[in-house]
Amino acid sequence: MRTLGIKAVFWPALVVVSVSISCSVVEKGADILGEAGKISPSDQKAIVQSSQALRSTFADITEEEEYYIGRAVSALILSQYPVYQNESLTNYLNTLGRAVAYFSSRPETYAGYHFLVLDTEEVNALSAPGGFIFISKGLLKRCRNEEMLASVIAHEIGHVSAKHGLQSIKKSRLVEAFRIIGTEAARRYGSEELAQLTELFEGALGDVVETLVVRGYDRKFEYEADELAAKFALAIGYSPQGLLDFLQTMVGDSSSVSAQGWFRTHPSAEDRIERVKTKTASLGKLPVENPDRTRRFEKSLAGLK
Amino acid sequence: MKKPVPSLFLLIGVAAVVISVLAAEILIVKVQSTNLRSGPKFYAPIVQTLKAGDRLEKISAQPDGWIQAKIPGGTVGWIHTSAVQVQKFDLLALDRGLKTQASASEVALAGKGFNKQVEESYRAKHAEISFIWVDRMLAIKIPAERVEEFIKNGKLGEWRGAR
Repeated sequence: MRTLGIKAVFWPALVVVSVSISCSVVEKGADILGEAGKISPSDQKAIVQSSQALRSTFADITEEEEYYIGRAVSALILSQYPVYQNESLTNYLNTLGRAVAYFSSRPETYAGYHFLVLDTEEVNALSAPGGFIFISKGLLKRCRNEEMLASVIAHEIGHVSAKHGLQSIKKSRLVEAFRIIGTEAARRYGSEELAQLTELFEGALGDVVETLVVRGYDRKFEYEADELAAKFALAIGYSPQGLLDFLQTMVGDSSSVSAQGWFRTHPSAEDRIERVKTKTASLGKLPVENPDRTRRFEKSLAGLK
Repeated sequence: MKKPVPSLFLLIGVAAVVISVLAAEILIVKVQSTNLRSGPKFYAPIVQTLKAGDRLEKISAQPDGWIQAKIPGGTVGWIHTSAVQVQKFDLLALDRGLKTQASASEVALAGKGFNKQVEESYRAKHAEISFIWVDRMLAIKIPAERVEEFIKNGKLGEWRGAR
């Protein structure tokens, strides 16, 4: 019992000492972080210097940077396509999109998810980094129910979620941008750095837009987005059949001959159908199309010209 | 016979404190604005509105991505993992100081990188690129209650299978 008594005194004492050391460290850290919004220039410099070594890939792009890239990519997309203005349809699309996003792996982005309809007969769906999503009128017309539209939206949220857009930025550009950002400690850039950064920003936008609009994503990203689409759709309660039905309508679509939009930038629908079927085959009982959802879908798209 | 039991309790108690301090995870809000909610759902009532850079202390996490957390002042609520960045303290880095662990999140807090200033500079160079619709797009706000109603009426989410 005596031995236990000594241990009982020794260990708590050691523990108390280590607690006090740990607390002081934590407090110090907390103080630094507490001042986060207005850190001193020396702290900022140290922070920025160390970030220089730490930031190297697309994954190191901050949410705010992603937002600014997404804004400009959206502006470039909208310089090529007019917006289809129909308030009730836009609201329906945004509500549906938000609902799907809630059940995705990335429901929150810097400024949230926003959706617009593009006034074109071309079949297309595009997503800019950060959650700016564009669905063409031509694509909407090919959807027969909410399940199909939800699956297209889920596919785009999949791209945003997995940061596929950001991954199309050339690595050398990012490394150079991170170097400039890491060297300049001030919150506002000097004219030389700003000019360099603006050029890199432009280059990054070019990389993303070229991929989205002209070249298309690497096939593996499209397959991944399909997988995520089936996963998110299932999580909220839509049938993954929506995605299969949508892809099926694309098979042999006459407009595919013109090699525009979606057809130019996506792998063949037949190939994607096979893959989605394989992934969903083992899932057991799946949700089915619901007449209430189809009714509100039809009502929202009724005036589509 | 002496009673070692209270000391043992003390040991266990203090050890628990140490473990909690060592395991303390600070979360930093990385999105422009979000909410601490009373439950692990986007349409649960709002406890506190939060903005980029705000700090919380993690209490527990669910596999679906929701984190129970505490804000300074002690209020407890739920936040989604996609809205926060985890800031871990490296307690072994005593001599190096905490600044050596700075990462992209600190750059974000400092408002660095591709920011408003870079966008302004880009726009000055490309007056032909309009941001009007981008701003209009961002102005579309759908309240969480509306989304909840949409999910409910569509027999989705927790209402799936409901009559």
